[in-house]
Amino acid sequence: MRYFEYLEPKDLNEVCQFLSQNEQAKVLAGGASLVVLQRNNLIQPSHLVNLKTIPGLDQIEWDDRQGLRIGPLNRHRDILYSPVIQKHCPVLAEAASKIATPPIRSMGTIGGNVCHGEPAADFPPALIALGAKLKLVSADGERIVPIEAFFVDYYETVLAPNEVLTEIAIPPLPPRSSGIYLKLDKITNSVAIAGAAAVVSLDEAGTCTYAGVGLGGVASTPLKIEKTKEILMGKKVKETDLEQVAKEAQTICNPMTNIYASADYRREMAYVLTKRALQEALKKAYTL
Amino acid sequence: MEKREIELNVNGNTYSIAVPPQRTLLEVLREDLGLTGTKEGCSEGECGVCTVLLDGLPVRSCILFAVDVRGRKVTTIEGLAEREKLHPIQKAFIEQGAIQCGFCTPGMILSTKSLLDSNPSPSEEEIRVAISGNLCRCTGYQKIIKAIRTASRT
Repeated sequence: MRYFEYLEPKDLNEVCQFLSQNEQAKVLAGGASLVVLQRNNLIQPSHLVNLKTIPGLDQIEWDDRQGLRIGPLNRHRDILYSPVIQKHCPVLAEAASKIATPPIRSMGTIGGNVCHGEPAADFPPALIALGAKLKLVSADGERIVPIEAFFVDYYETVLAPNEVLTEIAIPPLPPRSSGIYLKLDKITNSVAIAGAAAVVSLDEAGTCTYAGVGLGGVASTPLKIEKTKEILMGKKVKETDLEQVAKEAQTICNPMTNIYASADYRREMAYVLTKRALQEALKKAYTL
Repeated sequence: MEKREIELNVNGNTYSIAVPPQRTLLEVLREDLGLTGTKEGCSEGECGVCTVLLDGLPVRSCILFAVDVRGRKVTTIEGLAEREKLHPIQKAFIEQGAIQCGFCTPGMILSTKSLLDSNPSPSEEEIRVAISGNLCRCTGYQKIIKAIRTASRT
């Protein structure tokens, strides 16, 4: 591994100033993705800036008006075992439970998982279905980016070299909401062949008041099925509506063939998983 | 190459060493501290033979930098037995025949310890999840799972 300098800054300002002046520097959270890239010499940062020494980046806060705010340094196991997440956003805990293995869940962070830009990553589909927004901070200021606009290509996001993800914000859902994350993998918890997360809300009469679907592993980035709301909201959802969303999933996806699965199979799975995720989320929501 | 003076807490002992930032915890344990119970396998965090406990939780020492674990408690396989008195998990692994070549064993036992410390009566499913990050090429896992179940009863 190439030599790098190592810093332990005391606050976010210090990080932002440093990143603005050192283009080849990278931030270090859990290291579960970053260090593997370094080991394989795919990246050779000049400096690693350890974010874990900075307070305030690992909060999990719920507010009835603003919803959930999650700090990027929360490890997968923090998300999995958080009572706040289990109460308000259990689909995130479900996604966390399907990431890799216990040691990786003790090291990897949700911020790292999102910023790494792996198209088959497990948090993005759930975050997309939830309508998450990302706060990106740099020495030049801050901006809010909806999660579906964050991903550009394989391992490429809109995060600038001098920016840091400081918060993942999830707006509050209506009552009677339920979500599910379905992950298709050959070996339990390995990289997803395809994944779909669905979040739906129903009112007292059984009419859909919210719907969101996110897909993973079926394109060069995680995907949002934009037409979900227009197809499902305001209706008493029928199976044909779900099939319409599932067909839309097939239309927007652009999967690749690799050793784990063919593009055709992934395209078929985009349909199957979308429909199934919506069915199961609705089934749960009806019982609430 | 600039070295950092750091203090590591391993198995209850404090070690002062000077390391460059990219030296991994695994390299420090094996090469600087002579604690060769922790093994190197894939060097990518996938196989589990490098597993140690950090503040009681299993982590991959091959993708952790030593400078990143200053001031935190590291437990390696060497930290389990008290002199000649083996830890109940070690005893269970031996008695149940859960060790063949032994290469995965230190990581397996530490993952087991982390499980049983927080969940003294795990279900079969919970045992399987706990060791899902430790690959074994020899045993087929059945006796390992049996050993963990046995250890959980002691």
